[in-house]
Amino acid sequence: MDLPIDQLGCCRPRREFLRVGALSLLGLNLRQYLALEAATPAAARSKQRAQACILLWLEGGPSQIDTWDPKPHSQFNAIPTRADGIRISELFPRVAGHMDKLAIVRSMHTEENNHPQGTHYALTGHRPNPALKFPSLGSIISRELGPRNNLPPYIMVPEHQETDFFSYMDAYTSAFLGSEYDPIILPDPSQESFQIPDLSLPDTLTAADIADRRSFLQAVDRGFRQKEKHAEFGRMDRFTNQALTMLLSPKVKQAFDLSQESDRTKEAYGRTRVGQSVLLARRLVEAGCRFVTTSGYAHGAWDTHKDNDQRLRDKLAPTLDQTLSTLLEDLQQRGLLDSTVVLAMGEFGRTPHLNANNGRDHYPDCWSLILGGGGIQGGRVVGASDEQGAQVAERRVTMGDLFATIYKAMGIDWTKEYVNPGGRPLYIANSIDDVMGQPLHELV
Amino acid sequence: MSHRLAFLMGMLDWKRPVRVLVLGLLPILVPGHLEAEKDRRVAPAEPAANPNDSAEAGRILAPDGLRDFRLVPSQVGLRGKGASQSFVVVATDGRGLEVDLTSESRFDLTNDRLAQVTADGLLTARSDGELQLRADIAGQQLTATVHIEGTGRARPFGFARDVVGVFTRNGCNGSECHGGVKGRGGFKLSLHGINPREDYRWTVKGGVYQVLSPKAAEPFNPRVDLEEPQQSRLLQKPAMDLPHGGGQRFERDSADYRTLLEWIRQGAPYGAGGSGSRVQRLEVFPREAIMEPGTRRRLLVTALLEDGRSQDLSPEVLYESSDPAVIDVSPAGVVRALKPGQARIAIRAAGKLVQVRCGVIRQPLDRYPRVAGRNFIDEEVFDRLRELHIVPAGLSSDSAFLRRVCLDLTGTLPPPERVREFLADRDPLKRENLIERLLNSPEFVDYWTFRFADFFRVVYRNAYSYKSWIRESLARNKPYDHMARERVASQGNGGPTRHFIKSISGEMMRPHEKMGEDVRVFLGIRLDCAQCHDHPYETWTQDQFWGITAFYGQLTRIRSLSAFMDDISGNEEQPEGPKVTHPRRRQEVAPRFLDGSPPATLGGNPREKLADWMTAPDNPYFSQAIVNRVWANFFGKGLVEPVDDFRPGNPASHPELLEALAEDFRRSGFDLRHLMRTIARSRTYQLSGDLNPTNREDEINHSRALPRRLEAEILLDAISRVTGIEEAFAVHEYVGGGTEPRGTRAIELVPEVTPSQFLEVYGRPVSRDSMPWRDYRSTLRQALHLLVGSTYTSKIAAEGGRVGQLLSAGASDREIVRELYLAALSRFPTAEEETRLQALIEGSPSRRKGVENLAWGLLASRQFTYNH
Repeated sequence: MDLPIDQLGCCRPRREFLRVGALSLLGLNLRQYLALEAATPAAARSKQRAQACILLWLEGGPSQIDTWDPKPHSQFNAIPTRADGIRISELFPRVAGHMDKLAIVRSMHTEENNHPQGTHYALTGHRPNPALKFPSLGSIISRELGPRNNLPPYIMVPEHQETDFFSYMDAYTSAFLGSEYDPIILPDPSQESFQIPDLSLPDTLTAADIADRRSFLQAVDRGFRQKEKHAEFGRMDRFTNQALTMLLSPKVKQAFDLSQESDRTKEAYGRTRVGQSVLLARRLVEAGCRFVTTSGYAHGAWDTHKDNDQRLRDKLAPTLDQTLSTLLEDLQQRGLLDSTVVLAMGEFGRTPHLNANNGRDHYPDCWSLILGGGGIQGGRVVGASDEQGAQVAERRVTMGDLFATIYKAMGIDWTKEYVNPGGRPLYIANSIDDVMGQPLHELV
Repeated sequence: MSHRLAFLMGMLDWKRPVRVLVLGLLPILVPGHLEAEKDRRVAPAEPAANPNDSAEAGRILAPDGLRDFRLVPSQVGLRGKGASQSFVVVATDGRGLEVDLTSESRFDLTNDRLAQVTADGLLTARSDGELQLRADIAGQQLTATVHIEGTGRARPFGFARDVVGVFTRNGCNGSECHGGVKGRGGFKLSLHGINPREDYRWTVKGGVYQVLSPKAAEPFNPRVDLEEPQQSRLLQKPAMDLPHGGGQRFERDSADYRTLLEWIRQGAPYGAGGSGSRVQRLEVFPREAIMEPGTRRRLLVTALLEDGRSQDLSPEVLYESSDPAVIDVSPAGVVRALKPGQARIAIRAAGKLVQVRCGVIRQPLDRYPRVAGRNFIDEEVFDRLRELHIVPAGLSSDSAFLRRVCLDLTGTLPPPERVREFLADRDPLKRENLIERLLNSPEFVDYWTFRFADFFRVVYRNAYSYKSWIRESLARNKPYDHMARERVASQGNGGPTRHFIKSISGEMMRPHEKMGEDVRVFLGIRLDCAQCHDHPYETWTQDQFWGITAFYGQLTRIRSLSAFMDDISGNEEQPEGPKVTHPRRRQEVAPRFLDGSPPATLGGNPREKLADWMTAPDNPYFSQAIVNRVWANFFGKGLVEPVDDFRPGNPASHPELLEALAEDFRRSGFDLRHLMRTIARSRTYQLSGDLNPTNREDEINHSRALPRRLEAEILLDAISRVTGIEEAFAVHEYVGGGTEPRGTRAIELVPEVTPSQFLEVYGRPVSRDSMPWRDYRSTLRQALHLLVGSTYTSKIAAEGGRVGQLLSAGASDREIVRELYLAALSRFPTAEEETRLQALIEGSPSRRKGVENLAWGLLASRQFTYNH
């Protein structure tokens, strides 16, 4: 119930897992295991080391044929892009100008067809399971890379607007990795009242007050501290020191402070929930965050069961076109593009044919996403759909492959397995049927 | 809410006048000792020696005279050419430890023609007859009788024993390798050889395992090559003649290699696997080993066969230590004690498992103090501690006991007045009296409703009538088997049926989901993995999973009434139809209990039969699962941990105690209060957290009280209580918004509808369709919230709070320090603390600021945040 993570044997490379002694689950002894370990392919460690990742979460699931995989039966024309031979939907003229920085995967294949489950699948690589919990991509990256510059490693901005966020919670959280790898969830930064909870000193409290308080605490707890050496206490002390550093660091406070951005920049991103959230994401990765889930589309925004074309044209695409292209320009200007992976996707794609309401329904069999930055090869297309955009015609790509690609770009050992508290091994890049995903060699 | 607010008056219903004056002084003198002293009247049989006296406890005795020499086994029958048996010599030393003297012994035989014996006690049969093995040790001569027969013919070869034995011994069929759910590298084996028939098929015929079909899929690559046996992949892979993800398992020409090769040369027969020679059970000597660091012991593993014979398997099994830093074990079964601690050696062969419990003691004690127990719990716990030469801590002080028992029985801190009263009380039975008062308090019902709401999955979709049913059941002290029966077999739309509803969607749970939950809740077994495949580590099979699921197959929801009924086929909502289909076999499954037996009759409400079976006195899981959960409430972890993961591979830390508690619980008529009373009264529960040289490293034997972090809800309620400022809980907009009524406590909330930053930061479980998971680990966000979060900062300073009241009532610094200590820590400050804190208040920028800082210091302290 209360075991420190290291005693559970989870989230260690298998070698260490054995050292802590859960051998019986593996049916191996250490000597045998080491032999096994030596025989597994060496972890591919990339020379490129992206430091952070921004996920533009297109909640609801965008239509592939109206975005990155244009087909003749889409209402929207295909336009050429800056990358030779790559065409995307005319809805994204500015993104087209950045296609040299971006790669498109047109052959994503996933396994869940509903929003909570699809979100869980897309962000953990696993189907939801009543008996098991799986860490989210952001949690895994945070754990593997650790915090930087005293900033919390994993942030989600803005908070979701679902009526029942609880049904989505497992998709974003750290499962057995521990809550330090859960996202810190921020409110909508485009609101006047935007405030960050607990990350800076409130007006009523000075650094001197904190020091005073701590001397009281010391006097109260001295005897108990001498006696009890609970493993958890050392962790709490470490976190307290980390928290003090954060609270007293002007840099941390500034990372969250959008007022430091010029009006011009704010305009460029768009003075919307989406624009300002993505701008904040850029500030955060610049300051040291590892993973930011962002975008700020309303619940189900991309879930175009009705009036697909109109909603894309009037609302969804223009915002994404503006925000994503501004983000890429901004990252490049600041010299951050090579160290920041940018990924834009939803939980699945949409049916290639319109339904009776001029809408498109959920579709996980074959869909598209884009990614770039962080050393990922731009101007490439991976995989292809068939003529209809309905089935994978070439090079099926799974969530595990995508995760492995991002890990590789970030210098994370993508072959790693965690072992959950029940002793079940889990690939951090988990592909369909519990096999290990493989990085897209075209891109990293 | 009012009765909760009225805790100050109502909780313990103490009518006696408060003797503040007398008491105010007493604990300042020596808080712990005096009270422990008084307590001796309750338990006259105190330890003869003070267990905390380090000089006494730490004295070491030199080993002296050995006694009780034994040669094991003392009698054995061997059959077949080359049959062998290992022998060990043990004796008890002067300190009561059993030691292994095999390597110091000299072995010889009464008849060298019949057998031979090695210097380390391995006897091999040569020809038929009877002889004696003699072992000479320290001037003693020990003998064992050996009967040999059938040496004229070789032992018949059997795939199940010989080939699967190679797989098991080399870890090939472990869960991480080919024994995993889907095998590895296209080669599937049953876990630890549990199903040799299937292993034979995969090995000889090949094929790829499919989760959802009993049929194997292409490609069919046999692992054996009958034409060129040495080219068999079964040999080339483990010998690393071909690349093998699992590395080299054995050398070419090793004994295992030759076994496999010989088998393939003979045409890879299944051979004698049939009746008689199948292993029914494994036995191991010793079952338990208490050792000193640096010593060794040899394990003897005996297979009991179906035909009643037994066979030495010691050299052929897989040994694994649960903690190789404490105890390691060689492939031959020699365990070595490395450092103080405990570990289990798991021994696997032929799909069977047996475990040896090992304890490595720090130093043997020459004189172990007498520790008087109060009930059977103490007997079990203290016997074990004595075996491990660990001396338990002394009895807790009255204030430590008061805080602990109030938190564990009611989730509520006692107010300062009650602390004063209790400390002043001179009644020798005051602890027992307190336990009774708490068991009968309204807070007890609140707290255990909270506990059970967590455990029974009360969520916003089902909360209201379901929670009332739980509250009502607890208030009336309904026997727990009745609660279980009402829940499992319920029909209609009353409270106990509400668990059929899913947390988030409000849909009806599917039969297998519901079954998985009920089995986990009431039997402490996680069957869920067996939904899609046989359980990866244990013997639970997919057939068992679907057999028990079938009891839920007929359940229907009548939407208009929101009622659940059985036996109405074809009604509105029946996720699987009335039939439950096995996903691999694609056949309808009939209801079967977990042991494979069918109910005597069918028809009606099949879950009544399931409930009968679950709660039957001879179902060991039912009582053990609940007593284990309740135990975990009082000690921070279960005797089986995780509490809902009972399985052979995860045995209890104190199996006899678990059974004794379960038996006592059954005999009490499944009385939860009786169980809690028994635990709370035990000396084990009432131990202090004090360290002595022998219990320093111990975290599993209950040799002292270990600190446990307060759960999110309990912690928040405690902060509200100490600061005197209630929490205003917001209600989520999607259920109407607004706030909960004033005075609502955190333990009364339904998590989904009351978002709370504090509760989430401190690990309140939110995902409620899966196993509730509470995270007790500290986090950065907690550290941040502690330093600057509103829960601490604004409550302390709020108008009308305890700090403000104390200041405006004109209390002195000394009185304020004492009052806040009583409120937060249920004790008076020590003289040193009092002096130091008064000085700090005086040195503060303002008196108010100083007192606020003191309050913060108390709330932020480990003593406050933990139950200890």
